[in-house]
Amino acid sequence: MHKVWAVIRREFVERVRTKWFWVSAILGPVLFAGIIVFQIAQSVGGGVRHIAVVDTGTVGYGRRVVEALGASKSIRADAVSHSPHVLDSLTQLVEAKQINGFLIVGDSLPSDGKAEYRASNLSMQTVEELQRTLNRVVEKARLEGRGVNPVVVDWAQALRVNIDQKKCQRGACTAESAGQTFIVAYLIAILLFMAILLYGVNVMSSVLEEKTTRIVEVLVSSLRPFQLMLGKVLGAGAVSFFQFLIWGVSARVLIAMRGPIAHAFGADAAMAQDINLPHIPFGTLAVFMAFFLGGFLLYSAMFAAVGAMSSNEQEARQAQQPVTYLLMISYLSIIGLTNEPNSTFAKTLSIVPFTSPIATPVRWSGGSLGMGELALSLAMLAIAIVGVTWVAARIYRVGILMTGKRPTVKELVRWVRTA
Amino acid sequence: MSDPVVVDRVTKRFAGHTAVDSLSLSVPSGVIYGLLGPNGAGKTTTIRMIMDIYEPDEGAVRLFNDVAGGRTHSARIGYLPEERGLYPKMRVVDVLTFLAETKGVARRAARAKALEWLDRLGLADWRLRKVSDLSKGMQQKVQFISAVLHDPELVVLDEPFSALDPVNRQVLLETVIEYRRRGKTVLFSTHIMEHAEQLCDRLCIIARGKKLVDGSLADVKRQRGGKHVVIEFDGSQGGAPQIFADRRLVARTQDFGQRAELELAEGADAQEILRALVTSGARLARFELASPSLHKIFVDLVGPEAATAVASAAHA
Repeated sequence: MHKVWAVIRREFVERVRTKWFWVSAILGPVLFAGIIVFQIAQSVGGGVRHIAVVDTGTVGYGRRVVEALGASKSIRADAVSHSPHVLDSLTQLVEAKQINGFLIVGDSLPSDGKAEYRASNLSMQTVEELQRTLNRVVEKARLEGRGVNPVVVDWAQALRVNIDQKKCQRGACTAESAGQTFIVAYLIAILLFMAILLYGVNVMSSVLEEKTTRIVEVLVSSLRPFQLMLGKVLGAGAVSFFQFLIWGVSARVLIAMRGPIAHAFGADAAMAQDINLPHIPFGTLAVFMAFFLGGFLLYSAMFAAVGAMSSNEQEARQAQQPVTYLLMISYLSIIGLTNEPNSTFAKTLSIVPFTSPIATPVRWSGGSLGMGELALSLAMLAIAIVGVTWVAARIYRVGILMTGKRPTVKELVRWVRTA
Repeated sequence: MSDPVVVDRVTKRFAGHTAVDSLSLSVPSGVIYGLLGPNGAGKTTTIRMIMDIYEPDEGAVRLFNDVAGGRTHSARIGYLPEERGLYPKMRVVDVLTFLAETKGVARRAARAKALEWLDRLGLADWRLRKVSDLSKGMQQKVQFISAVLHDPELVVLDEPFSALDPVNRQVLLETVIEYRRRGKTVLFSTHIMEHAEQLCDRLCIIARGKKLVDGSLADVKRQRGGKHVVIEFDGSQGGAPQIFADRRLVARTQDFGQRAELELAEGADAQEILRALVTSGARLARFELASPSLHKIFVDLVGPEAATAVASAAHA
């Protein structure tokens, strides 16, 4: 064990010493902070739109709409009187980016409910807000037309219903919108994919380095090949945990300090504090780490075997492709996994060990995975890790001392049999 | 005490050919043992089987009277493989510390030892440099240190002197001799007989995977003896080629131009050859009755085709 420990330590220390480790350790949080700052900027500064309201009629609905929009935080509206060429000149203003767009209303608004909005960029948010405002104006006009007191109408309209969205999974409900659920699932998938691939390839190149520099001969004279492989995989795994730790801690700090950070960028600190970030429960985090660990062990064993059977970088790049594709299947299935998490397809992906490291955490975060399925998925993964490591260790054992051309599949089978 | 290395009728086959064929040898404690043979004779394969890197197809290797294999005893064995290699991006002292750790030495002790050895072989200033910054010769020395750092009882060196300049070779030779003086055992392979002759107490010559001869250097020379004459010319060879070709006087010749080694024919008299040479006008710098050089024995044993290859390698 002392020897394996030495290999783990070397692998860890040498990797953490490289500048690439620190570049990605720092770049990760910087990127994360960038996303937050971008979101804050979006919700604070960039949100206000200037629009013109053209009234083609005589009753004055245009004026009413402008009045109703007066309370809006994100839309500033000006009434424009109708004249023959006003639409052309407004179109020019839109093109010149003087205004964001313009709304056309007529006298028939309360009877046919029709209005038109023209803009260079049709944002969902703006259109929805215009729609809400127009609905209120129409409602008021129609009620007044039937003799209802405008004061009563105003009173009735003053209250707005606010739906509090809660996501319920495994007996607990949290405030999380559908969009956030997808974002979390996507984030999980991309993080797992990148991390397993990156650190798996690290194991591969480390094996290859020992092989091409021939130091492996000295090493296997004092370590069993399996000890060497184990040390390598665990060492690279420790590096990735360390990386995640740096990212996790700095993300926590950045989120906690998002108010002051927003203030430093000249944005409204209070609003930044209000941004609703997806809540990631401890359970999801635990599942994520468990499947990262499992996926990493499974794939890095395969990558170690790939490194051992290749004699140079080029060969290794080619030989790693099948392994990479295997990992990619579940990553590419992310849309299917989040849209229909209970389909046979999704269920299969989280049972098959080569796809479950990504598929199962994604389905878990969506709340569509029971404890039974989770246990089955973990068990299958554990069995696969043992089996794949056994095969990989045999390929590794023969491969590390081989030079010359890459072995054929037939030769690989012989290695596994005779090793 | 039994011999630290006993190789018992081992055979190793690779796809299509037999690299080592029922080879037996044993290395007594406290000697420098030479495993000699031309390129491709099976030296490296034999050493790899001793080191537990290859498993023999037949036969067994016993180290320190135990069949458990080299890896189990790695703390007692130092190994310098033929194909050298270190981690190019690691610092010199870190590589040495790591390699000693894989032999079971505690980290702190390994580091101290590494610094001591670096100092001893004149590499102290390089201890914090990356391995890739070192010259080939320096890397070889670092690798040699890695083989002896944990103070093993047995050191196995595969072609330790190849690709070393004369100064570094001398340093290494002295270190190996000093090792024996401390009662340790050294097993090394080479195809350069001059090195073997300087160092070996005992030796084994192999070719095509088979043992041709083994024993102490003196025994081998006595067995393979016959009367030998070493001649060095001082300029003119005179009629030497004709005299060397006379089978009544000379059984075999190795003529290097300015130097020649003769094996006398049965019943021939060395004085007669000396007289004939002088009469023929040859100018002599040396005329010596001698036991045959290891090189001569080697060439006689492994045969002419291997001999040419070896001779050119030895003088390269």
